[in-house]
Amino acid sequence: MLIFQLLALAGLLAGLYGIYLRYAQTKRRALPVDKSPLKGNPQHGITYAFTKGMMPWAKESTRLHMIAYLRGIGFHIGIFTALGALLISPFWTLLPSLLSWTLGGVLTLGAILGAAGGLMRLAEHNLRGLSLPDDHFAVWLVTVWMAASAIAVWNEAWMAAYYLLSAITMAYVPLGKIRHCLYFFFSRTFFGKFFGRRAVYPHPEPVVMDAVVLHPVRSTTADERGR
Amino acid sequence: MTETIELALKTLEAQLNQPLETALEACARCGLCAEACHYYRADAKVEHIPAFRAEKLRSVYRYEHDFLSRLFPVWTGAKKLDEPTLASLTEIAFSQCTLCRRCTVNCPLGVDTPLMMRAIRAMATASGAAPEILVMLADSAIEKGKDPSFFKDLFLEQITEMEEQLRDVTGDPTATIPVEKQGAKILYVPLAGAHTILPPAVVFNAAKEDWTLSIFEAANYGVFLADVSRAKQVAKRIVDEASRLGVKEIVIAECGHAYASYRWDVPNWFAGQFDFKVRSLIEVLADYIRDGKIKVDPTAIPEGVTYHDSCNLARNGGLIEEPRYVLKNVVKDFREMTPNRDEAICCGGGGGLVALAEYADRRIAAGKPKAEQIQKTGAKVVVAACENCRLQIGDINEHYNLNVKITAITDLVVRAMRLPKPLPGMEAEHLFEGEEVTVERG
Repeated sequence: MLIFQLLALAGLLAGLYGIYLRYAQTKRRALPVDKSPLKGNPQHGITYAFTKGMMPWAKESTRLHMIAYLRGIGFHIGIFTALGALLISPFWTLLPSLLSWTLGGVLTLGAILGAAGGLMRLAEHNLRGLSLPDDHFAVWLVTVWMAASAIAVWNEAWMAAYYLLSAITMAYVPLGKIRHCLYFFFSRTFFGKFFGRRAVYPHPEPVVMDAVVLHPVRSTTADERGR
Repeated sequence: MTETIELALKTLEAQLNQPLETALEACARCGLCAEACHYYRADAKVEHIPAFRAEKLRSVYRYEHDFLSRLFPVWTGAKKLDEPTLASLTEIAFSQCTLCRRCTVNCPLGVDTPLMMRAIRAMATASGAAPEILVMLADSAIEKGKDPSFFKDLFLEQITEMEEQLRDVTGDPTATIPVEKQGAKILYVPLAGAHTILPPAVVFNAAKEDWTLSIFEAANYGVFLADVSRAKQVAKRIVDEASRLGVKEIVIAECGHAYASYRWDVPNWFAGQFDFKVRSLIEVLADYIRDGKIKVDPTAIPEGVTYHDSCNLARNGGLIEEPRYVLKNVVKDFREMTPNRDEAICCGGGGGLVALAEYADRRIAAGKPKAEQIQKTGAKVVVAACENCRLQIGDINEHYNLNVKITAITDLVVRAMRLPKPLPGMEAEHLFEGEEVTVERG
């Protein structure tokens, strides 16, 4: 078992190192400094980008595809749970039974949602057209890894296979599309800075103008936005 | 590798900063951006999904920069840039994306696809593959800036004629259109044509503003080419003029890309030498109404009016409530399109598309979602605070038989000011509710 544990550890370290290299490479690139006068607040924009802006009702796309978006959220919750579970895997036997069952349940759900995503990529016309071999491989790899995690939580006999799969999954993270996990943080930060600075997000307070207000501007309601 | 390809790749490398690399790396190809794009809404095919378009550049980037892609290009869709690929990229960036950023705000990761489209445009411009008309328009603006004496006399002559019209319609014999007024507070930068000079002149005179008219136009085709060097040269004409005259503020006509570039880009291009406040004419109008500097009649425009959010002004510029404030002060029956504001659908005329005759059919086809939006409001007047949007909505008005009138915000404000006489070309609109048509025909 120790060999498989070391393999998983090696995979994890390789993955982390690969992600670090990606991070360092991107950080080495120039970061444009915006000197235009502020209208809004970039910090508020960044906060919005990682909080309210991620809510399923915040965007037309996620309102239109609420189920697909929630599936994706559930899938990613499963992945991060699996990552946490891998880190504490040598101590799984010490977990209280309720926690162990909950962990297994979350991982199973994550795997089911991952499989649904994998099937959607094959079945849905647009997704099929957009997908590369890497996309199909990545979603099934992570899905099988989550499934293996769930089984291993409940059945120790699966630990060797689980560690082997963990090693492969972790090592693959920086190589293929899974590395978007790193760029998610960059991307939402740049998004928040850009739109926050320009007072587009978070939605500004309603403009209240006194003096000769003949038709006072109403507050920006969801209805007015067509939501 | 040909010289063209070498130049294109060199340009890509030069642009590869943190935001661009992030945009190239972050996409999970979830497809949620599909309906965000007006091209996809008009014709739902995979090729019209923003992620699909961006993938064309990503494949080139991966080939150059990704370890796994170099070993197994098929696995990640990596592709070596060649002439046909560059031609296809160029066509995508100039004819299938208006840089509206609606896909960005709808992406769960916030991927900036227009940033990638700009990168392609820059690659195409540097390698000589960009549409010639845009290059020509940008270069002629640069030439104009080098020797203003070439056109100045004719321009001043036209302004003198406009001044007479201004005095006639306002009934104010002291009304002026000052040009090159030293020490004026505001430098107003119009677009080509009297329609962006005369109505603002009416407003500035009524507000007793200390202003001067720029001898240059606000339009900047260098921006559409994503060619910062050209765009800077075009902008420099106005930056130099503002410095020479010692103005405090530059006010940009109702123009989306000009406002976005002067408000958000020019301060970066001229960092350290640019300390002017930049406002859109819309913000100035809102302030005048709020401060009581101009008097407007809210009953002057009785017909149903809807407002189209220009992507450069609203989503990319932050001018969202200001135009609504102005309109609600001058319009009796204001109707929002759905969706609107940051979620507004692009009309299809942005990104320089209206200047590209070869892509007119695609542009008008992509305007269908906007046409449907307009139709649903039942409004008779569509207001757009951007010249390119007005041109595009004019075209879709005709193509989809919308039977609406397209106008600028300032035109409606001037109507609501109840001038003694109508502005030239606006005789019919000058009527107030219940009045009869008495247009004299010469």
